[in-house]
Amino acid sequence: MPSRTRPIEKFAQAVAKCSAEASVYGKCIVADYNSVHKDKCLTEFLRLKDCYMAAAKKS
Amino acid sequence: MKPATLRSFLPRPAIRRRIFIERNYAVQAPGNPTLQVFDRHTKYLQKERAAANVERNRQVDYLKDEVAMRLTERLLDINRTFNHVLDLGANSCNIARALTLPDPDPDPSKTTSLPLSSRVSHITAADSSRAMLYRDAELPFNQEINLTREVLDDEERLPFGGNTFDAVLSSLSMHWINDLPSVLAQINHVLKPDTPFMAAMFGGDTLFELRTSLQLADQERRGGVSPHVSPLADVRDMGGLLQKAGFKMLTVDVDDIIVDFPDTFALMQDLQAMGEGNAILGREAGPIKKDVLLANEGIYRELHGNEDGTIPATFRMIYMIGWKEGPNQSQPLPRGSGQINIKDILGGGEVK
Repeated sequence: MPSRTRPIEKFAQAVAKCSAEASVYGKCIVADYNSVHKDKCLTEFLRLKDCYMAAAKKS
Repeated sequence: MKPATLRSFLPRPAIRRRIFIERNYAVQAPGNPTLQVFDRHTKYLQKERAAANVERNRQVDYLKDEVAMRLTERLLDINRTFNHVLDLGANSCNIARALTLPDPDPDPSKTTSLPLSSRVSHITAADSSRAMLYRDAELPFNQEINLTREVLDDEERLPFGGNTFDAVLSSLSMHWINDLPSVLAQINHVLKPDTPFMAAMFGGDTLFELRTSLQLADQERRGGVSPHVSPLADVRDMGGLLQKAGFKMLTVDVDDIIVDFPDTFALMQDLQAMGEGNAILGREAGPIKKDVLLANEGIYRELHGNEDGTIPATFRMIYMIGWKEGPNQSQPLPRGSGQINIKDILGGGEVK
């Protein structure tokens, strides 16, 4: 019996397609991780999220 | 005249039930009051759920099996046979299985070398999670060792009498204990005089990568942090705790096991499947938010990621050995009484 794909696995697959955006976002945080505050890297995050949404829709 | 009392006509249990209020003296080592850090019931549920998926649970036993093996290897250093051994917090009896494996350090002068289990006459594996404990009850290794399984109500209260065991082992379970000083004292109590206690537990820097990147993700996405990774005992504390519990001739050492994962989701899924999910009191209800997970993936990779695209996760194991005090036990010599300079034996002394 093929097992059902867990939501987290779908999530992981979609995120894996956005490694470039994830890396840009990560770099933005890591550049100065001693002074992280809310929405410090909002634009980078939104770009990552848009990419993820598009990837999730396709699969 | 006194009104007739009904009390003597009431069935006894009705009265009993009212006065049956359980009161206990607080059990604790002298010193600070005990802090409740972990939700023991949640931990129980997590382990039961994890063990319900037998196949997946076996897949992620790599860590527990490895640590159990490294721990039992230390038994080789003690030239004794053990009549009755307790495995406290046995998970799926990983220690019993490790004992039945072929001798990891065979003596070349002998043709056959028996597995460690030949030196253990009887092992009691105790755990609070029944499903986890009985998961592998049908496997062949059960026949190779005299193994009894015992389900505990709570690993923090040992139901065994004093001077019962010839050794107590514990592998990857004590990091979920709230009141470590009390449990260590209880272990000391159930041991016979001059017998060892050996344990391995997650310590200090375990999963520091996940801890830091989740904190950063939480901070940036939501403007605050919530505990996702347990606080763990430090190596330096363990010596003091063992000493307080009355153990002698202590040995505490650490060992890092670094596991590479394809991504953070694989890491977190494995932790969940092991039954090692977050069980801190005062954690947030519900799963981690999707946004935070998304942010975490990017940060983890940038901050800690390997060059080949995988991510490392560090598990820092603290191994400890302590002996219950007994007559004729060898004692450490007084400080400053050494006659031989260790430099003469090891040679050199200059750091190149």
